[in-house]
Amino acid sequence: MTAEEIQGIFFVECEESLAAAEQGLAACKAGTQNADTINAIFRAVHSIKGGAGAFGFGALQGFTHTFETLLSDVREELVPITAPLVDLLLGALDVLSDHVSAARDEGDAPEDAALIAQLEAAMAVNLGGHGPAAVETPAPSEPNTSDDEEGFNIDLDALLDDISGAPEPAPAAGWILHLRPHAAAMRNGGEPLLLLRELTALGAECIACHTADLPPLDELDPCQGYLGWSFRVPAGVSEAQVRDIFDFVGENCPIAIGEDAAVPPCQIATRAAQGIQSIVAQGMAALGIAANQPAETSAAQVAEQISADKHTAAPLAPASAVASAAPSAPQGQSIRIDLIKLDKLIDTVGELVIAQAMLAQRLSGEAIGDNEELTLLESLTRDIQESAMAIRAQPIGSVFSRVPRILRELTASTGKHVNLVLSGEGTELDKTVIERLGEPLTHLIRNAVDHGIEDPAERLASGKSAEGTLTLSAEHRSGRIHIRICDDGRGINRERVLAKAVEKGLVGPDAQLSKEEIEMLIFAPGFSTAATITNVSGRGVGMDVVRANVKDLGGRITIESEEGKGTTFTLTLPLTLAISDGMIVKVGDQTLVVPLTHVVESLRPEARDVRGLGAERRMLNVRGRFIPVVPVSDAVGANGAVRDPQHGVLIVVDTESAGQAALLVDHIWDQRQFVIKSLESHYRSVDGVAGATILGDGRVALILNVDTLVASAVAPLREAAITREAA
Amino acid sequence: MTTITLPPRCDRAAAEALLPDLAAAFGTGALTIDGSSAAQVGQAMLQVLASARFTCPSTSITPSRDLREAARLAGLDQILFDTNPSDKAAHA
Repeated sequence: MTAEEIQGIFFVECEESLAAAEQGLAACKAGTQNADTINAIFRAVHSIKGGAGAFGFGALQGFTHTFETLLSDVREELVPITAPLVDLLLGALDVLSDHVSAARDEGDAPEDAALIAQLEAAMAVNLGGHGPAAVETPAPSEPNTSDDEEGFNIDLDALLDDISGAPEPAPAAGWILHLRPHAAAMRNGGEPLLLLRELTALGAECIACHTADLPPLDELDPCQGYLGWSFRVPAGVSEAQVRDIFDFVGENCPIAIGEDAAVPPCQIATRAAQGIQSIVAQGMAALGIAANQPAETSAAQVAEQISADKHTAAPLAPASAVASAAPSAPQGQSIRIDLIKLDKLIDTVGELVIAQAMLAQRLSGEAIGDNEELTLLESLTRDIQESAMAIRAQPIGSVFSRVPRILRELTASTGKHVNLVLSGEGTELDKTVIERLGEPLTHLIRNAVDHGIEDPAERLASGKSAEGTLTLSAEHRSGRIHIRICDDGRGINRERVLAKAVEKGLVGPDAQLSKEEIEMLIFAPGFSTAATITNVSGRGVGMDVVRANVKDLGGRITIESEEGKGTTFTLTLPLTLAISDGMIVKVGDQTLVVPLTHVVESLRPEARDVRGLGAERRMLNVRGRFIPVVPVSDAVGANGAVRDPQHGVLIVVDTESAGQAALLVDHIWDQRQFVIKSLESHYRSVDGVAGATILGDGRVALILNVDTLVASAVAPLREAAITREAA
Repeated sequence: MTTITLPPRCDRAAAEALLPDLAAAFGTGALTIDGSSAAQVGQAMLQVLASARFTCPSTSITPSRDLREAARLAGLDQILFDTNPSDKAAHA
């Protein structure tokens, strides 16, 4: 594994640690914490510190050091958990998150001096408690960038520099610590000498290196851990401080405390044991059992037992014993998979779906489409497709977990305190959707707090609690995911929205709009009713971007609002972007797909419903409102297409930039799910085309980009209208 | 006299690579390990060096400042660099 790969894993684990700490601090904020909660927060921060030190992220390591020192005091109940302390810790978590981002993106580390001073001021030693003296923050060290197959990328230069500046040897008084790093402590970039460095930084002194288990050179395996150490730790250093050092390596480096305690025993998989392990592995392979880590451990245990009993077992006997005694795989095991490999799998499954559809169509053409095997194949293909998509699925909690920080920042800038209620965090959807959901969700939350939720005084005056409530929920429904952002604020003032829309020329002064249509005006480009422009929202850029982002994801956004009670935005999104719903339509000699997310309705018009506008243009009267008719054949260059709307079908579509329009097609052939193929990666980007798919008969059908198609078709019409008005 | 030179990066991979060379060199008489270029030293390499000293006490090691500091940190400086290493080993 290369240094970059190990570093990549470190940053993934940082995200997990930050999420765990956020969750723990949220519990503290709610007053529902227990000892495990504090431990979990401490471990999360400590893990980041350990990795930061190993990779030479000095600023990150320095900050986490201060952060965890305060957390250690909290864990040991030297510092009480109070509301101001939780706020301070949450602030520190935000800065820690910025530090991680800076380390990952090679950006500038955030300014943290003031916060570090606050954290230090809150420590037990500065509160007059009995905690340990503040340990000096480790000096930042330069990252070690060289590669190594074994992942040994620890900056030992910095380590040794630190050692040379280590405190003077501790006085004889103190307590004894024994430690024994096992082989696993040296894997994946682990280096036990770093642990010794941390001990000496606390003032501990090495009083013995235990070499009794060190074999002669011809029996030595450098990957095993043969050495043990005894340290004398100064009396002023607490046991918890020392245990913190070893939290990161866990069972890979057991410790024992006390003069009378024995040095933890050496755990070497001897060559004899390794030989038995090999036999066991062969036996397990014969039995069809994977030789995974637990099995290896079991093999070592068997080897030890055999060695102790001085017996020589027949090769397959231990295999059987291990096979029956091997613990079942623990629940929740996981592996990390390169996203490129996963995307390749999804792509191949898409091909499988297409191939299955082609086979079904071919057999149907031969009048043998109705058979049991084909039904089974269809069912299996669907299962494989769902399983493959499930691998990419992630819980939406990863997006929701960013919301507390957004609210903290909004509280600081607006003075509004908002309680957050989350539900359905475990609801899963595709990773790509998750990644692109963050921005629109952030806009909606900022909008809800800035515009929706009232100031505390206004809330109290209207009989509400001073603190607002924002509810985020997610659930699966009808093969899509519904995300609700609900506030208990003032709701949408429709009269004001309509007046503003008229003022900005978005609608005519005599427009007759339903209440839903008025509410949807807030998504119009440039719309804003904010009396003053704030840095939170109110520039009229945001809600239109939200709608565009949601639509790009193949989703819809709807509003429910009650004045004085609050507003709920509902995002309805597909579970995946790889497969979508669409109408398969015929236009002349072309077969095309219209994504269903744009479709409002389809109709075959009467002669009176279509009016001419100039020589070429026609408008469709939809219940008293005229929308342009866009012949799709003009855009795609189809031959032999229907030109008269009465002989074809009009599909009314909704677009971002050009409002509604009616697409003229010959007829609607089918409505079904289709696998989306990128045109850009296989050919090049084409205006009016969003991608392609392969139909059951093997033909390629283009997927229309309804937004750009309609925009380019109606633009000349609008320009002509503007010219007429000007004249 | 055979001299084996340690690389600047004395990590686990370097220790594994060094092992067969050391074993082969033991059969050829006096051995000197030139560690004057060693800049980054981990436990795996210290184990190899210590085992070499126990296996063949006449083996001499020329340390760099970094190697000496790493050995001091691990409590192995006397074992690695003193003239009679077997007397210095602490046995638990």
